[in-house]
Amino acid sequence: MSKLKLSGVSKAYGATLALRRGDLEVMAGEVHVLMGSNGSGKSTLCKIIAGSVRPDSGRILVDDQPVTITGPRSARAHGIGIFYQELSLAAHRSVGENISLGRLPVKAGVFVDRSELRQRAARYIGLFDGVSGEEFSAEALVGSLRPDQRQLVEIMKALASEAPLLIFDEPTSALDRAQVERFFEILRDLKRRGRGIVFISHRMDEIKAIGDRVTIIRDGETITTLNLNDTDPATVIRLMVGGAGDMPASQSSVPAVVDAERGAALTVRNLSGRGFSDVSFEVARGEILGFGGLHGQGQSAVLRGIFGAGAVTSGKILIGEESFDASGPRKAIRCGCAYVSGDRARDGVISGRPIIENVTPIHYLRDRLMIARPRKLRHKVAPALQSMQTKFASLFHPISSLSGGNQQKVIIARWLIDRPDVLLLDDPTKGIDLSAKADLFALIRQLAADGLGIVLYSSEDAELLGNANRILVFNGGSVSRELTGADRTRYNLYQAAYEAA
Amino acid sequence: MSRINSFLRQPIVVALVLIVFLLYLGEALSPGFATGGQILRLLIVASLLGIIAAGQNVVILGGREGIDLSVGGVVSLSAIIAGNVMNGADGGILPAVGACLAAGAFFGLLNGLGVTLLRIPPLVMTLGMLGVLQGLLVVIRMGIPSGQAAPALSRFVTQPFAYGIPGIIWLWIMIGIVMALMLNRTVFGHRIYAIGSNEHAAYMAGVPVGIIRIALFVISGMFAAIAGLCLLGYSGTSFANVGEQYMLPSIIAVVFGGTSLAGGKGGYTGTMAGAVLLVILQSILTTINIEESGRQMVFGATLLLLMMFYGRGRAMRA
Amino acid sequence: MAETATVPSYRRAGGIGRVLERYPFLPALVIVVALLFLNGFFSPNSLSFRALTGLLSTYMALILLSIAQTYVVYAGDIDLSAGAILSLVNVAIVVLMERWGGGAGAVLLALAMGLLLGLVCGLVNGLVVAALRLQAIVATFATSIFFTGLALYILPVAGTPAPALFWRAYGGRFFGVPFVFYILAVLAILLAVLSRTRLVTQLLAVGDDPQAAYQTGLPVVATRVKGYVLCGLFSALAAFCITGDTASGDPLVGGKMTLYSVAAVVLGGSALSGGWGTVVGSLLGALTIALVNSVVFFMGTPSEWQNFVQGLAILLVLMAGVLAGRRGRS
Repeated sequence: MSKLKLSGVSKAYGATLALRRGDLEVMAGEVHVLMGSNGSGKSTLCKIIAGSVRPDSGRILVDDQPVTITGPRSARAHGIGIFYQELSLAAHRSVGENISLGRLPVKAGVFVDRSELRQRAARYIGLFDGVSGEEFSAEALVGSLRPDQRQLVEIMKALASEAPLLIFDEPTSALDRAQVERFFEILRDLKRRGRGIVFISHRMDEIKAIGDRVTIIRDGETITTLNLNDTDPATVIRLMVGGAGDMPASQSSVPAVVDAERGAALTVRNLSGRGFSDVSFEVARGEILGFGGLHGQGQSAVLRGIFGAGAVTSGKILIGEESFDASGPRKAIRCGCAYVSGDRARDGVISGRPIIENVTPIHYLRDRLMIARPRKLRHKVAPALQSMQTKFASLFHPISSLSGGNQQKVIIARWLIDRPDVLLLDDPTKGIDLSAKADLFALIRQLAADGLGIVLYSSEDAELLGNANRILVFNGGSVSRELTGADRTRYNLYQAAYEAA
Repeated sequence: MSRINSFLRQPIVVALVLIVFLLYLGEALSPGFATGGQILRLLIVASLLGIIAAGQNVVILGGREGIDLSVGGVVSLSAIIAGNVMNGADGGILPAVGACLAAGAFFGLLNGLGVTLLRIPPLVMTLGMLGVLQGLLVVIRMGIPSGQAAPALSRFVTQPFAYGIPGIIWLWIMIGIVMALMLNRTVFGHRIYAIGSNEHAAYMAGVPVGIIRIALFVISGMFAAIAGLCLLGYSGTSFANVGEQYMLPSIIAVVFGGTSLAGGKGGYTGTMAGAVLLVILQSILTTINIEESGRQMVFGATLLLLMMFYGRGRAMRA
Repeated sequence: MAETATVPSYRRAGGIGRVLERYPFLPALVIVVALLFLNGFFSPNSLSFRALTGLLSTYMALILLSIAQTYVVYAGDIDLSAGAILSLVNVAIVVLMERWGGGAGAVLLALAMGLLLGLVCGLVNGLVVAALRLQAIVATFATSIFFTGLALYILPVAGTPAPALFWRAYGGRFFGVPFVFYILAVLAILLAVLSRTRLVTQLLAVGDDPQAAYQTGLPVVATRVKGYVLCGLFSALAAFCITGDTASGDPLVGGKMTLYSVAAVVLGGSALSGGWGTVVGSLLGALTIALVNSVVFFMGTPSEWQNFVQGLAILLVLMAGVLAGRRGRS
């Protein structure tokens, strides 16, 4: 029996098409996996089902009946519950209240039924008994919990909706093995009871472990739906990335190891700080040093620490021969250090302002300018943008009029007017399309050839393997392995990343 | 067509259209309303409000719920200081200007330090500062006479200065030009917008966020001080809490000029139009022959109606 | 995969933090106690039963207005018209009581009308801010002008006296206990009851993160409107107290009180950004303002310096309130 059926659902935000044509059919009693690379439209699809995003077109059927979902409340009324990837918790409320927030139990019409609230909380907290960690209780404030515990609360909240159709948008990203195992047991139980479940994860092993069928989305379009038993990971990945699956990594020649004779651009000795400890490495001029490993093992924290935007407690950093101790980004920038974050919206884009104002701040700082003459700066700004084939109508249009990939090119361009000595790339291609990635990596290689020392952290192995001269694999906040020369294989990288887990 | 549509929706265009409409309306309701002399009188009042709103404008543009409730207090304080320093003598004008600017900058600095170093929300910090300023006004008024405006200052504000236009309006136009240049043509201006749109991104791009924000509050205090000085010239003598009536209107003028209270979006040219709009609206209400109560009700309702044109919040559902 | 075990990306509140997390009004309570002590130090007489009763009956209106403000602040909103609502209800009930003869029935009926008026004003604010999505600060300033106009229409100049029955009851004693203490007791029960309602939980959830609350399926707009309605009702109650205290109608009586109510909310440890706070804190915040004023008086501050010292003291406790509140939330 079909629990949910979507056909031809689309959504555009201004000029950006987030979802071109979303089709999905979920049966009762199945775990239906949604797969697609970042920015392919999975989350948009989920939010349309959950009512928090209004679709531009398309049809939605629940239990074979056409429905119009007018908002999250209406989605609930139609029997849809969701786990939001970015979580939907009230930080200052207790775990118990958060679990029931969607439908607070009521006594006498107006009062919160505290005993029912407690019972309900106990029921769902009990599901994760033993794996939810210390100090996890119904009374604890969500804001005081660890990230994995918050994720558990969001799971409990979705479960507490007791909806016949449940959507889980990356519910396991912060969970440990035991928590994931327990969660999967719960999902299997729900399956047996005839619930329909949509599940999103990037971990192939999890998908194999829990999924029945998989629907693949690429560039906002549903490609196909497959039975997971009849297919293998390689096929799924090929469908996910499409014809261009092999780029940008292996199509270009794998870079050789750079000999250190050109001198070190960046030297880091015994660096410790929040989220990492005792990290040492050296980047030669012209070298691209890769940071690998599972997400959140301290790679970003190290890069931010060097740039002066994260806490460093001890250790030594040298840029060239100069000792360097960035008290903040300003100092780092003046010393010739550059940092590009993958979290554009938070760290990069000065939203609502013209493209040119997004390119110029570093130039203003390094040249200590007081007067802004945008038209005079054109001849400096334009080449920087063109070096990555950035597409824009005018330098004076707001940056928000660009696609994600082009926005990121603008952010990178701000570092190109006055060349830095060291370029720190913190997962710079997150959520941008393949052609933009290709442009970016072409530029990065060019910059390395020009003599910059580059550190590249990427959550995509292919990017590291295809571009880095050496790869440091991070685990638990320190470097667990260094891959050089012929060791730089997908297998070794994968193994090194997981070996301590 | 859509280009015309989006042009018409720009706040400053809305404000200008409304200004013209209100002038016609005023002329229809009470002939003589829109004559040159009358309009000049309106512009004098608008310039007082507009100068205060200039400071309010930059603080709001800087984001993080930026707002300056203490401007009313600074205006009153500055009027008293100026009145006593010049005490009716033209020679005292320059020292008065210096004293007022110093006082405005000082209280702005305190606001800025509280907001940046202690991370007190601007609303709370400036509200508390308003209380302090009001107390200070009482102290000063008890100890010394209210003081007199120098004749030259009064002439500057109320009498034609050049081309038949009073000096204060020239001053306001100059402030308008300086503000436009500062916001659009200086690195400082770009940085104001940057911290207002995305403070963290600005920090990562090397913008000295704290220093800029402190500077914004200092600027706000100094503009309020200038307005207090002009207000003294306008009324001849300073009286208690003259500035307070300008506090919330200065915020409304900024909003009517198309600057978002969320920060990072807007400019001062619009605010000037917003100030003129607000003053004309008030003036029409005083010319028509109704009770004070009816006037206030119409004023409040009209403000609400006009707000419908400006930056309504986004719906929850994308 | 055990990333959270080795990478502590979170921080637990320490001992003080945990206590503040549970009782965010604690700093306000400490300040109130300290101020009471200071009062007693400078003038033992100021702690007499009579003096405290007087203090309470004068500041009961501000206490209620601060509580009114708290409910909108819960949801991350603000109401700059609370004082204007107070003025409007004040003149409305005084005029109605007078017109209806000033008997017990007239007084009660007028109070009922006053509550209704407060409710309607709150509803207007709620619709304008939450449904029409206008900025709360400027929109409620506009409605405050409108409400003030209405108050001036009802009573153009201050002065109409309230019936003796009414203000004598407010200032009087029953069974030897001053009436304000009955008010305080009823208020305590009312606040306790309200704190258990679903509405208050929803207000706090909306203020915590409106987007998350919406995605959770909470009726965000309706909840915010109800917050304003609650604010309107408590403003009306505040108007009853000011009427009892001043025994007359004044169309501008509440104008200055709005900003004090905001200050009291902040003093009580509530976050203006919403999602965090207590009404008890606001009550203590209003008392703080009352006691600061009284300490400054009893300290023998020269009269011309009193406002300044009061302003300075309130600024300092405001800053302390914000800093302590943040400590509790981190």
